[in-house]
Amino acid sequence: MKSLLQVKGLSFTLPTGHVVQGRKTILDNISFDIPKGSATAYLGPNGAGKTSTFRILCGLAKSDSGQIYFDGKRILGGLPPKQFGFMPEQPYFYKNLTPNELLTGLGRLSGLNGSSLTKSILEWSEKLHFTKILNQRLATCSKGQVQRVGLAQALIHQPDFILLDEPLSGLDPLGRECVSEVIQSEIKRGATMLFSSHILADAENMCENVIVLKEGTILFSGNMKTLIAAENNWSIRTVWQDESLPVFETTETSRNVDGTIRIKGSSEKVRDDVITHILASSGATLVSVEPERRTLEQAFVNLLKGENQ
Amino acid sequence: MKQVFEIARLTFADAVRNRIAYGIFVFLIIILTASIILASVTMGRTELMILDLGLGAISILGNLMAIIITIQSLQQERESRTLYVLITRLDSRWKYLLGKFFGFAAILGIQVLIMCGLLALAIFPFGEIYWLSFIQACIATILEVWIIIAIAMLFAQSSSLFLAVLFTLATDITGRFTSVIHQFGEQSNSTLLHWVTEAMFYALPNLEAVNLRNGAGYIESYATNHFLAVVSYTTIETVFLITICAWIFSRKNLS
Repeated sequence: MKSLLQVKGLSFTLPTGHVVQGRKTILDNISFDIPKGSATAYLGPNGAGKTSTFRILCGLAKSDSGQIYFDGKRILGGLPPKQFGFMPEQPYFYKNLTPNELLTGLGRLSGLNGSSLTKSILEWSEKLHFTKILNQRLATCSKGQVQRVGLAQALIHQPDFILLDEPLSGLDPLGRECVSEVIQSEIKRGATMLFSSHILADAENMCENVIVLKEGTILFSGNMKTLIAAENNWSIRTVWQDESLPVFETTETSRNVDGTIRIKGSSEKVRDDVITHILASSGATLVSVEPERRTLEQAFVNLLKGENQ
Repeated sequence: MKQVFEIARLTFADAVRNRIAYGIFVFLIIILTASIILASVTMGRTELMILDLGLGAISILGNLMAIIITIQSLQQERESRTLYVLITRLDSRWKYLLGKFFGFAAILGIQVLIMCGLLALAIFPFGEIYWLSFIQACIATILEVWIIIAIAMLFAQSSSLFLAVLFTLATDITGRFTSVIHQFGEQSNSTLLHWVTEAMFYALPNLEAVNLRNGAGYIESYATNHFLAVVSYTTIETVFLITICAWIFSRKNLS
């Protein structure tokens, strides 16, 4: 698939002091590609450099080195304004304005006008369920409602590329479902999306690609399924009559509430050894052997802990 | 220019609902109280006393509102991340600053005009004054407030809310004494002091030069050349400050 966005060797540092200037590395020579029409999750622990990457892409901050290509063309001062939509992390906008006034102003800045703008605002307020608060001051709106307005402003001009920084934070389950649906419909429309989130279950459902960042370097960049299926985990449930449990290397053993024993591991050889051992023991009964599918969250935690390296 | 206008419109819509903008009512109370008190204690020319008091109050309130509204709005825009969604929609960053300036200039210009109108209404029952010089003084006060907006925008770019307010206030106050500072340097024997005061004289905006309040109402009108010089000076100073501000802002990492 053709790349819409290519980032090559991006580095970014920030000053650490006022008088004696040291520099802290935020991004260290990172490179990644975002395929056209795809959804990519940009993940990492706090301070990994996610928001800094977004700010550089938006032209809010300047990188120390590296190149950014958008649709094959090199960009210097941020992505082309009319072709991308950006939602910053936890925006709260002008408190004195209503969502209608805010979206009208921002829509006009993006080149929309007249009846098409009015229609677009209504359409997005219906899709994101904030029609009731359209003419209410933002100061009186809840965090979740402001978050939906924030998403609407990023999508109102139907951009080719959507950059969302924590779009699901502060939303209740219904809000998250609604936002997820909207994001998926945008992908179906043909938009390309890069978004950061700490809610990994949603990222797993919405994105086909994933980039994992830690302390300014990329740990993984590629297909979501590849990351999750990096290990073939399994789980064996057994009834054990003896008091002392045998210890199998590289496995995790726990006792269930119903009295059965659960042995978890990832090596196929160890799994076969355990099964053979259970079948050979007179006091043991094999209840089940199940493949255990990892979640993105488990894969993410393992990756950060260095277990996959 | 469409984007500049849109930023100005958003700035105006937000600022007009800012509680600080209702400083006009403080002025109304000052002027009504002063009128009642002065009318009862002065012998003749009460209208001129109300005029002096009123124009002074307009200048102080106008400048204070300009400082607070400008700095507070810029800081809040940065903290609320509204700045990011605005900047990412613009072709160039300077459009944001120009739009903000026009928005602030419009709201504060209207406020000063309303205050001047209220002052005229307060003066009217007590007697006649020279209205042309009064109007010239009102226009000069609006231009002075616009310089203050530009100064506040400059400091808001590079410091915290508190420091920006402090620096702008300091510039506002010292800007009224630049001639005194210059004279002091000229009379001094120290070369260093001479250069420092000379630098301050040229670096600080000369706000006393744009003050037409002293003769307002007392003289028929200021000479056209004098008035045009005031307008030209404030325009050049404002353009200069906004240009520096835009230059700093366009190079700044917003992170």
